[in-house]
Parts: sequence; C-alpha cells; structure tokens
Amino acid sequence: MSDEVRNDLKYTDTHEWLKLEGNTAKVGITDHAQSELTDIVFVELPEEGKEVKKGDELCVVESVKSVSEIYSPVSGKIKKVNSELEDSPETVNASPYEEGWLVEIEVDDTSETDSLLDADSYKKLV
Amino acid sequence: MTKKSPLYNLQKELGAKFTEFAGFEMPIQYSSIKDEHLAVRKSVGIFDVSHMSNTWINGKEAEKLISLTTMEEASRIADKKSQYTAILRNDGTIIDDTIFMNLGKRYMMIPNAGMADIVTDWINQKAEENNICATAENVSDDFVILAIQGPKSREVLQKLTDTDLKTIGFFGCQEIEIAGFNCIISHTGYTGELGFELNISPVKNAEKIFKEIMKAGEEYDIKPIGLGARDTLRLEKCFMLAGNEFEGGRTPLEATMSWAINWDHDFIGKNALLKQKEKGDYERITCLVCEEKGIPRHGCEIQKEGKKVGIVTSGTLSPCLGKGIAMGYVHPEYREKDNYLDIIVRGKPIKAKVVKPPFVPKDWAEKN
Repeated sequence: MSDEVRNDLKYTDTHEWLKLEGNTAKVGITDHAQSELTDIVFVELPEEGKEVKKGDELCVVESVKSVSEIYSPVSGKIKKVNSELEDSPETVNASPYEEGWLVEIEVDDTSETDSLLDADSYKKLV
Repeated sequence: MTKKSPLYNLQKELGAKFTEFAGFEMPIQYSSIKDEHLAVRKSVGIFDVSHMSNTWINGKEAEKLISLTTMEEASRIADKKSQYTAILRNDGTIIDDTIFMNLGKRYMMIPNAGMADIVTDWINQKAEENNICATAENVSDDFVILAIQGPKSREVLQKLTDTDLKTIGFFGCQEIEIAGFNCIISHTGYTGELGFELNISPVKNAEKIFKEIMKAGEEYDIKPIGLGARDTLRLEKCFMLAGNEFEGGRTPLEATMSWAINWDHDFIGKNALLKQKEKGDYERITCLVCEEKGIPRHGCEIQKEGKKVGIVTSGTLSPCLGKGIAMGYVHPEYREKDNYLDIIVRGKPIKAKVVKPPFVPKDWAEKN
C-alpha cells in the first residue's frame, strides 16, 4: 500500500502538510501519518486566535493506543480550526488532505514555508 | 536484544505492525485496533501471546510450593483445572499475577511477559529456604501460546479436534490434540469473551496450528489480533495488566483482587495483607467512564474539586462504548459508585463517573 503524497503541498519531516493561499496556510497530517496512526478517535484543536511559532505543538491527535503531537509548520496566528473533527475525528483517516484538515494559520512570514519539504523530498522520507 | 515469536514471519506476512513489549517484538495491530477489537467481541480472533511465560513446577511437593508462593491453596484445585492467583513479596505487594494449571499432579504456571526468570528464581529461592522438595523450571522458549477468543471460538476450535470442547469448563485445562498436534488447552483468556488458550510445544508446530485455525475460522471472519486490541479488550473488562496496575508495588487488596485470595492457608505476604485489611485506608482500583470528550491515559491525575485523590493506571477510548475509560487507584473516600471525579488530561479536567466493573457487560455483542 503506497501513501498518497500530493504535489501541490509542502511537508514537514514530522508528517504535517501545508497549503499556502495568500498568507493563509491550511495544515493537516499526511496520508502516511494517518495510516500509521490508524483509527483516529480524538483530535484536540487549539483555540482560534492563538499565536504559534514554527515547531510549537499545534494540536493533539489520538488513536486508540497512542497520543501524537502535531507541530506547527509555520509561525502565525490560528485563524480557524476544523471543528467538524470534534465530532468526527475519523475524517482525518478518511480524507487527510481535504475534509480532514486541522487548522488555518495566518502566516507571519510566508518565506518561512520555503524551507519546508516539497513532494519529492517528502516521498523519499516515507 | 528483543526476542521474536516463532510466528514473527507469518505475522509479517499477515500485515502486522510490531511493537516492543517486555523485551519481545510483538504485533501491535494488523488491520485496525478497533476492527480487531470488535471482531473478538462479535465473532472470533486469534492472538499470538508467546511473550507470556511458561514455567513447570516440578517435584513431589509442587503443591506445597505453589501454596506457599501464591495466594491459592493448590490442593483445592482439582485435576484439569486452572486457577488465577498472584505471587506476593513478604510485604504483600504483587510480584506477578499468574494462572497455574493442574495437569494431573503436574503444574504449569503462566507468568507474565518478561517475568519468567524473576518468578522462577523467587519460587526456587522459597523452596530452598523452606526445604520444599520442588522446583520451578522456566520453559518459556519451548512454548508458543495462542489465544482464540470470541463467541465463535469454540466452534472454530471444535473443527480441529475430536475432544468435545463443551466438556472443558471455564478454567478447565487438559492436554488435547488440535489439528493433529498435541497441546495444552485451557478455557481461559484476557478478553472477557468465551475463549481458549493453547500452549504449544515444540514451537515449530505453532505455525501450522495457527494457519489451520485461520482456515477453520474463515466462515466466521476470524482475524489475527495484536496487542493493541488485547489491551483495549482487557481494559473494557477491568482485567489487570501487570506492568500498569501493579507498578510501584501494589497489593492484591489495592488491586481489588481479594476474591482471588484464599485466606484459609498460609502464604508469603498474607500477614502484610491482614494488617492492610484491618487498617482499611488504602487506595483501590476504581473504574471511571468519561462523561466529556477526552481519553485518559496511564499516569493522568485523578482529582476531586482540584485535590489529587488518585492516579490512572490504564486508560483508553473504549471501542465498544465510544467513550474514554480508565482504571486507577483512588482513595476509598472518593470511589463510591456514581461519584464524579476529574481526570486531568493535558492540564484540563475531564469529568468522569465511578462505575462498577466491567465497563462492557457480557451481553454487549447481542445488543449491538
């Protein structure tokens, strides 16, 4: 089974993805990450308006057995969280790149995303 | 170095993801913990539990040695019967919980994963100190243990043996043939469902037996089950996990195992237990169901109005209930049924209610 890696996204080596539109970044976990975790049963989202630094803990994703911290790929302010996940965390498994996104961040400095991995580099990692 | 089960390659072929547990590299899951969990509750699953230990208690005074070193009087346990018990230190704390089988004046003990040497050395030391003519022999490497658990487990195994499995009662054990190979079967398990455990020696027979059971179980959608679901299955039934619930030195009274204490004989640790019982003010295992979203985990603090009253030893999301569940040690004052307590998960209190064990009742599968 091969994990999907999308060409239009940026990645971290801790298996988050980021999609930049203007100065807003949508963030989620990769197909590889969701398939490793399996059975996501709880997502703890941050509060909207919270400031995060690149590498800070952004939210927590729990499977039946494990607790995984998700780290922010960029610095900025939490603009929106995917509150649908509070009632249906399994969406992260079903659709990690679409309906299963986690947060939107208003990015402080978009050039910070230049250092993230492109699809080819991330593919080599997984 | 971690040990591998003789079934490691087969498990890899079946798609297992592995984890290190008590020195063994064992499957944590195959498909999904949730699916595996529900397969056992509703139909049948097969587990490799070779990380568990096998110890023979040999010698003409084997009965006496077991009675001294466990909470059970071995002479009370008839031929072809097994017994759940625990081995205690002098101060009453648990070294290990175990099952011993009476196979007709031959006793086999099943200590937990990684406990074989500790248990064997302890029992042999007590035999020597008390001049008892018996010895413990660690034979864990000579055995593979398979657990077949779930409401369809008997039907699956019955296809592979001429022995009428209905004649083996709960906690019964005996030597039988399964798929043409000798093994020791016991009507026991760690899931709270109908189930059996097979102790297989020589270990080279295990792969063939495993495959035959998978084939016999096809019509019931039998699934191989990993340690992940083994943990959630036992936790829903409030069964103790040695590494979690006995961590840091706990007595069977604290672990609410007093039902398994046979007070009518002398055993190591008994005096300490009597003293603790008289004092009565000890923390006890308490079962909590979360009434708010959140999943309690090992080590989470339990509070009442901001004051610490206990600690979680095991917690998970219950696949059957869809709620967070936890077992933990709570001060006696706060553990009455229907009491509300807070479990602190990542700094935030989650409201939880004290319930009577088990979390998931016997008839759950019929109703769901």
